[in-house]
Amino acid sequence: MSRLKFIGFVFKVLLPLGLGIAGSVILERVIEENLFLHSWMKISTIPWLLGLLCSLGVIGSRRIRSWLKARDEKLKAEIQVGMVEERRRFLRRLDHEMKNPLTAIRAGLANMAESSRQETRSEALDSVNVQVLRLSNLVSDLRKLADLETRQLECISVDVAALLEETLTAAQDLPDASQRQITLTVPQAPWPLSHIAGDWDLLSLAVYNLLDNAVKFTESDDMIEVRAFEDGSSVEIEVAETGQGIPQEDLPHVFEELYRGENARVVPGSGLGLALVRAIVERHNGQVSVRSRAGQGTVFTIRLPVGDVTGLQQQVTDL
Amino acid sequence: MNELVTKGQKLLLVDDETAITDNLAPFLRRSGFEVEVAADGEEALDRVASFQPDVVILDVMMPKIDGREVLRRLRGEGNWTPIILLTQVGEATERAMALEEGADDYLNKPFDPHELVARIRAVLRRMRPGERPLATAAQLTCGELKLDRPRRRVWMGDDELTLTPKAFTLLEYMFTHPDEVLTRERLLDVVWGWDYPAGTRAVDTRVAELRRTLDDEPSEPRYIETVPGAGYRFVGIVDGDR
Repeated sequence: MSRLKFIGFVFKVLLPLGLGIAGSVILERVIEENLFLHSWMKISTIPWLLGLLCSLGVIGSRRIRSWLKARDEKLKAEIQVGMVEERRRFLRRLDHEMKNPLTAIRAGLANMAESSRQETRSEALDSVNVQVLRLSNLVSDLRKLADLETRQLECISVDVAALLEETLTAAQDLPDASQRQITLTVPQAPWPLSHIAGDWDLLSLAVYNLLDNAVKFTESDDMIEVRAFEDGSSVEIEVAETGQGIPQEDLPHVFEELYRGENARVVPGSGLGLALVRAIVERHNGQVSVRSRAGQGTVFTIRLPVGDVTGLQQQVTDL
Repeated sequence: MNELVTKGQKLLLVDDETAITDNLAPFLRRSGFEVEVAADGEEALDRVASFQPDVVILDVMMPKIDGREVLRRLRGEGNWTPIILLTQVGEATERAMALEEGADDYLNKPFDPHELVARIRAVLRRMRPGERPLATAAQLTCGELKLDRPRRRVWMGDDELTLTPKAFTLLEYMFTHPDEVLTRERLLDVVWGWDYPAGTRAVDTRVAELRRTLDDEPSEPRYIETVPGAGYRFVGIVDGDR
């Protein structure tokens, strides 16, 4: 603390106290009789008591301010460390995601270069093609994630029931989808589901990704239920399935970019599907969550605020 | 038949990444083009003057003079050689800008080389030598239908039509690429910048929206025709303020 500031501080502490005492002395002189406010408190006591309280307040608020500042700085430092750690983790996972297809490509190319058998060569060519597509998908999903941060949302009034129906129809084309029992439940009574404000295509992509996951992590004859509810302020969309479930220790991480839980390692995918779901929902001021039980299944929930179109547009232009 | 169309057409491929030009040039030669390669913007401008290509494939991100600047300079000199830009990012603004600044088409990296050949052929078919491409016109008309691109507004006769931003972008692309079969995937890329699994359905939804607004019967289309198993085609005759 600089000297000038210190003098200012002392002044701020002493001034109310001094004024209070002066007030008390004046009152003592002016009021001849001893006027009592209470059995133990003279009227003339009040000014210096108030002064004392003010001085203590000045000291206290200073303490509180410096304490708050320290806490703030600590928090900031923690966030910084968290971000650095997150970035490292992301790079580590990206490195891992790319290593495997690249290794396969190199092996495939070596086969092509060294084998004279037409069959081996065309097999290698096919496998290289598949791995290249895998890398392309990864890059394309990464771009979507980056794009989502800045993209202008096309904000329209979205009929959630119609959106779910359309997305479900699209998901029927997924390989294996025909072997699952997929149902859709949307409330009609006492009134149909409220509309929400948002980008139809992006929301459809979010639901589609959840359905894609549901199909991937279930087996023949498993059930997949898509449900929607409303509680007045939000619309909730659930995608529930009777699959193998997600281990408890993986649950907090499933929405992270490129995170692969124990069960997800063998399943093909870019590792960005759920991260995309979260990014889309958060751009719509919503939340995502997941519940799961081993051996019983999993339910993903998207919660979106019911609202008019203008609110979200405002927020988009603020970005 | 396609081989005949492209036989001997001269193509200038501009990209600073030799890994790309080394692989792409032979592929394009096998497709019937006479190919020359330039590694940066400066060289590209020289080659355009000396080689006189029929079409230029131009990467955007390059050292010295970038692709966008090459495009601007050529158009500034009144050179309307068809140009296809190879863009890096899928940002919608960047793509719109590419067309406004006078590119005939663009393709996002990474792309399928067959798709590039298809685009080159489409651009060459559309080309009227020495003329500005439709893609650079600010005002476009097709009969009663008028498109004001800078203001992003549409009129049918004297009535202004209301379109969502995506529907406008879709109509704009179809307008600037008339009589060309446009696959759903391509339209998806134009409007959304990236594809997603349910996206081709989204294109159908938008086309249906456009048809409703334009009062266009799918069975007797004045504007948008469905090409079964392939995509859509803009069948109206388009004029621009060229």
